[in-house]
Formats: sequence, structure tokens, C-alpha cells
Amino acid sequence: MHHFRFSQRTVAAVLGVLAVAYTVQAYRIPEFAAVQVPVQPGTLPRGLGLLLIVLCLALFLQKPAPKTAEPSEPTERDRSVDKAGTAGTAETAGTAEATTAPARRPALGRLADARLELAVLLGAIALYVLLFEPLGFVPATALFVTGTAWYLGFGRHWVNALVGVGVAAALYLGMSEGLDVALPTGILPL
Amino acid sequence: MDALNQLFHGFGVALSPQNLAFVFLGVLMGTVIGMLPGLGPISAISLMIPVAFTMDPTSAIIMLAGVYYGAIFGGSTSSILLNAPGVAGTVATSFDGYPLARKGQAGKALSVAAIASFVGGTVGVVGLMLVAPSLSALTVSFGPAEYFALMVLGLTAVVTLSGNNLTKGLISGTVGVMIALVGIDSQTSTLRFTFGRHELYEGVEFLIVALGVFALAEVFVMLLRRGQGGGDGTITSLRLSRRELKEISGPTGRGSVLGFFTGVLPGAGATVASFLSYSFEKRLAKDGKTFGKGNIKGVAAPESANNGAAVGSFVPLLTLGVPGSGTTAVLLGALLVLGVQPGPLLLDEQPDMFWGVVASMYIGNIVLLILNLPLIPLFAKVLKTPQALLLPLVVVFCVVGVYGHSFSTFDLWMLIGFGVLGFLMRANGFPAAPLILGLILGGLMEKSMRQALLISSGDLTTFVTKPISATLLALAALSLLAPLYGAWRRTRRRQGLSEDDGRGQDEQPKATVGGTQERENG
Repeated sequence: MHHFRFSQRTVAAVLGVLAVAYTVQAYRIPEFAAVQVPVQPGTLPRGLGLLLIVLCLALFLQKPAPKTAEPSEPTERDRSVDKAGTAGTAETAGTAEATTAPARRPALGRLADARLELAVLLGAIALYVLLFEPLGFVPATALFVTGTAWYLGFGRHWVNALVGVGVAAALYLGMSEGLDVALPTGILPL
Repeated sequence: MDALNQLFHGFGVALSPQNLAFVFLGVLMGTVIGMLPGLGPISAISLMIPVAFTMDPTSAIIMLAGVYYGAIFGGSTSSILLNAPGVAGTVATSFDGYPLARKGQAGKALSVAAIASFVGGTVGVVGLMLVAPSLSALTVSFGPAEYFALMVLGLTAVVTLSGNNLTKGLISGTVGVMIALVGIDSQTSTLRFTFGRHELYEGVEFLIVALGVFALAEVFVMLLRRGQGGGDGTITSLRLSRRELKEISGPTGRGSVLGFFTGVLPGAGATVASFLSYSFEKRLAKDGKTFGKGNIKGVAAPESANNGAAVGSFVPLLTLGVPGSGTTAVLLGALLVLGVQPGPLLLDEQPDMFWGVVASMYIGNIVLLILNLPLIPLFAKVLKTPQALLLPLVVVFCVVGVYGHSFSTFDLWMLIGFGVLGFLMRANGFPAAPLILGLILGGLMEKSMRQALLISSGDLTTFVTKPISATLLALAALSLLAPLYGAWRRTRRRQGLSEDDGRGQDEQPKATVGGTQERENG
């Protein structure tokens, strides 16, 4: 968790930039002139944008709470640089590392660095969403559940496969038959 | 006692075997549908409408009412077990319910929720019976200015309750309102912040943000924590000790009454009621600093309030014919199709119907309790699922919930985005509750602000010259100033006394789920 905690000033500065961008955008909302209205469509966004800028300033100038002072600040910055580089190869690195260090494996996942693990999961979810419509709900879901659970270290492979397919099929049937919600069928001839 | 006679007559209607079966069916269906993240009371009721059309109107509304409070109760189950509030009204329940579940006390949390829901619902029904006729007069006096003030109060209450850093809370709330304003402006049809994506024209769905910021972010935290400190699925005991019962009796009682009256106000509803009740109890409790870390009072307060409010929202529906919320609007639609015109005349013209519904609510609440207490161990088994398997399954439920709503993969990408946002917020100590509430109230807030200013022809003083609105706004200002004053006093005291005094006072309730624990250990 602490890997993703940034100094209060950094957060305030990043948010401040976004707030300024939002406010500029808010001032570009056209005025509504057809009828006389007391509150223009841009009024509230502009007020909110200015408020957010003020709040970011306040946060920037605030003394951070003593607890959040991070002792490991420098290492964090170092690592965040190489994170971007290795994120892509995380999957392969993960399997390699798992075989070398089976002695003390974490309860979830395979990598030593939890941040890479997060990147892998995000990648898996993104892949799931990408395949959701073309592949269809049932195959994509079964693949995602089984694959992710296997990767995270769920040992009983048969149970895993059964749960993946079972949940996907049950959800599909429940949604389409019971609730009339059509999930994508994809490649299955349903 | 005319009302009492009427009520007995109503019980006669509700206790007919046929209607009893419908109450049971409604509550059961509502609970099951409500448990699925993404399917709330509105979807549950809409799904049951085709069934209702085949019945006579009284049975139909009895069943639909059962679906309504069943769904609200069911929603709290997924809030507690998975931190996945599918319904806005149960977001506040997850603040303490989920930490309790993680501590292995899921059973206890669910029991408290069941009992508090029962009390809230029952108090609500008594209130509906006693005050429905006279309250309709008061609600009419609530104009847009008063609504605006009420929503401001709801928002500030949540901002101040959620954390040590007021600035961060305010930022969260502001961003929440900003998200609410995305889409086509309802009054002038101006496009705001849609970036040319037609998917954004209708705004950002509450569900996407809630599932992303709460459930998906929780998945990331679970992974980072490597499955340690997760609930081990031991349900401990469902039973509450006498002391615990005594402990929750206060919050439950106050929450029920508060919830009912908030529910009566059109537009406010279960969500505002649950947040208000939660923040009120946090202030009131001597052990307020343990709120957000798994305090049973933090489950009892919002649960009693949201059920009280659910019943309360029937008051304007049945007496004025004005739906106070999206859910009751759907109910109104169903009633109209069934040939019933709710309104001031309903009580006189169709007393069978009105009192039958009231009586069936009593029965429905009892059914809810009987149905749910034995099923709690079954629900809590969810936590026994190994986390490696549970993790992808939670993702799938989020995805299904969002996709089933909009059928758009664009929304799924937004879901991932909000998941990452929620995770970063939690890691950096930004509370998520104000964001959600800002999103829920933002649109309504702008609407009532506009209406109020339209009535006063642009005169801003309308908000402070109306007594009710002025009082509510003063309360809001007070709730913002009180913590500032408290912080000022603490620093004064800290300078004089030892360092660690009053340290726990300003803990993050929401961050507890992941951040605080780690921050304190690490």
C-alpha cells in the first residue's frame, strides 16, 4: 500500500493541475441564451473548479500529518521508474520467479513485488474487458476466473476450472433467462 | 380508535393465505436480487412488475412493497461481505460492516443488520400509520430551497465524518459533484464534459463509480495485502450478547426515527438517511473513533435508517401520489397501470388497500427477519472462499453488474478507471464516501438550486431567508466548523500535554479497510 502513497505536496500539485484544466474547460461551456435562466449550465462547474483549486492550494500548504511522513520516500521514487519498464514483462517474470522461490510463497500471487502483481491483475482485467464482447460472456468469464485464480495460487485446478465454467454459465443463464438481460454470446452458438 | 380498527381490518386483508404467500415471495425475491451487486430495489421492482400485473392491485402492491424492503436488506449483505454496495442506500453500511466481516464477525454484522433493519422497518410502519395523514401537509412546505439546504447538510455531514483531513474530504466531495455534472444538462441541453463521447451524454452511472471505488479497489487492496488479514470465514456466533444488544439499541432507535422522517421528504430517501444517521451516531458515541473499524453501532445506525426511510417514502407516495425516489416512482408507475391512483383520496376510497399494505409491511418485516437469520451462516460462507478464487469472482460480479445495466464496454473501462482511482484515493488517505455522496446528490443539488433561484428570480438570499433552509444551512456550516474548532483545541492541548493525546480521534474510517492498519503497523 505504501508504494502508492505519494507525498501530500505531489498529490496536491497533480490535483491542482487537473483542477485548473477543469476550470478552463468549465469556462468554455457555452452560455445558454435562448431563455433567461438564473443559473447558467457553466455556473456550478466554474464554482466547483475554483473551489477545487482553492482546496488544492490548502492541501499543498498544509503540514502533512506526522504519520504519513514516509521514511522510504527515495526508494519509492526509484522503483516507480523501473515499474513502467517491467510491467509489460510481468507475466513471464512471474512464472519464472515462482519456480525459483517456492519456499515462501505469498498467499496470493507469485511475484515478490506487489506492484507488479497489481499490474498483472490490471492487465488481466483489461484483457477480460477486451474479450468480453468478441469472445462472449461465458468463455471470457470462464477464462478470466480460472486463469486469474490459477495465477494467484489457487491449488485445486479441477475445482478451479469447474467454478470458472460453472459461475460463467450460471450467471449467463440467470441473467438471460431470469432477468432478460442479454449478455454477449460471442463465439458460442447460443 | 378508528385507525386501530382500520389496522385490524388491514391485517385481515394481509393475513389471507394468498397475500401472505405474496409477501413471502416478494421479500425472498427482493433479498436475492438485492444481494447481487448492481441490482437494487429499482431493478428488483421492475423485474417483478410483470408478475404483479397478473394479480389484483392490493396483492400486487403488497408483494412489490415486500420486494422493496427485501432488496434494501439484501443490498446490505453484499456491502458487509464484499464491500460491494450495489445500492446507494447501503454504502454507509459497508463502512463498519466490512471491517467487521474482515475481523471474522460477519455473522454478527449480518445479525445486527437484520435486527436494525427489522426495527427500522417496524418503526417506519408505525410512523406511516400514525403520521401519514398529517405529515403530508409538512412535506408540501419543502420547496427547492429547502431541498438544496438539506443536500448541502447531507454532504457536509459526510465530509466531516470521514477522516482526519477536512481538506481531503472536501476535495473528494467536490470531485463527486463534478462527476455528477458530466453529461447533457437537463435544463438547457448543453453538453458538459462529455469530450465528444456519446456514452457520457447521460452522465456517469452511480453504479460504475460505487463498484469501482469500493469493490474493485478492494480487490486491488486484497492483492497487495497478499491475502493476509482477510476474513477467515469463521462466522463466530450470530448471537449478540446482552451488552451488544444494549449498545445497538440507541443507534437503532434514533436511526429508525431519523430514517423515517428523512424518507418522508421526497428526494432525500434512504441514502441521505443512512449517511446522516451514521455521521450522527459517530458524533454521539463515546467510542466514535472506532467507527469505521468495525463498530456494530456503525452497522445498526445506517441499516435502521435506510429501512425506516424505505417505509417513510411510502408516505408521500400513498398520501400525495408523489414519488419521493426513483424506486417509488417505479412503484407509482406500476400502481397506475394496475388502475390505482394514489393520492389524498386513496385513504378514503380504498381503505382496504391502504391498511392492507400497512399491515403487510408489519408481516413483511417479520418474514424478513425469519428468512434472513437462518440464512446468515450461508451468506457468510462467501468469506470462506479462498481469496485466490474470490478475487476474480468479485471482478466478474462487478463487470456483470455494470454491463447488465448499460450493455457498453465503455462503461467497463470506466469501471476499471474508477477502481484505480478508488485504490489511489485509499492509499493517499482520501475518503471515498464524500465522492459517492457528491455524485448521488450533485445532480439533484443543481436542480433544486436552479428551481429555487428561478422562483426567487435570481435572488441568492432565498436560501437564508427561509427559516427551514436557513436552519439546515446553519447546521451544515456548524458541522464544518466543529471539527476545525476541535482540531484547534487539540493542538492547543497537545502543546501543553503529551503527544499521543487524542490521536485516534481523527482516524480515517474508510481507509481502515486497508490503509490505516498498514500505516500504523508500517
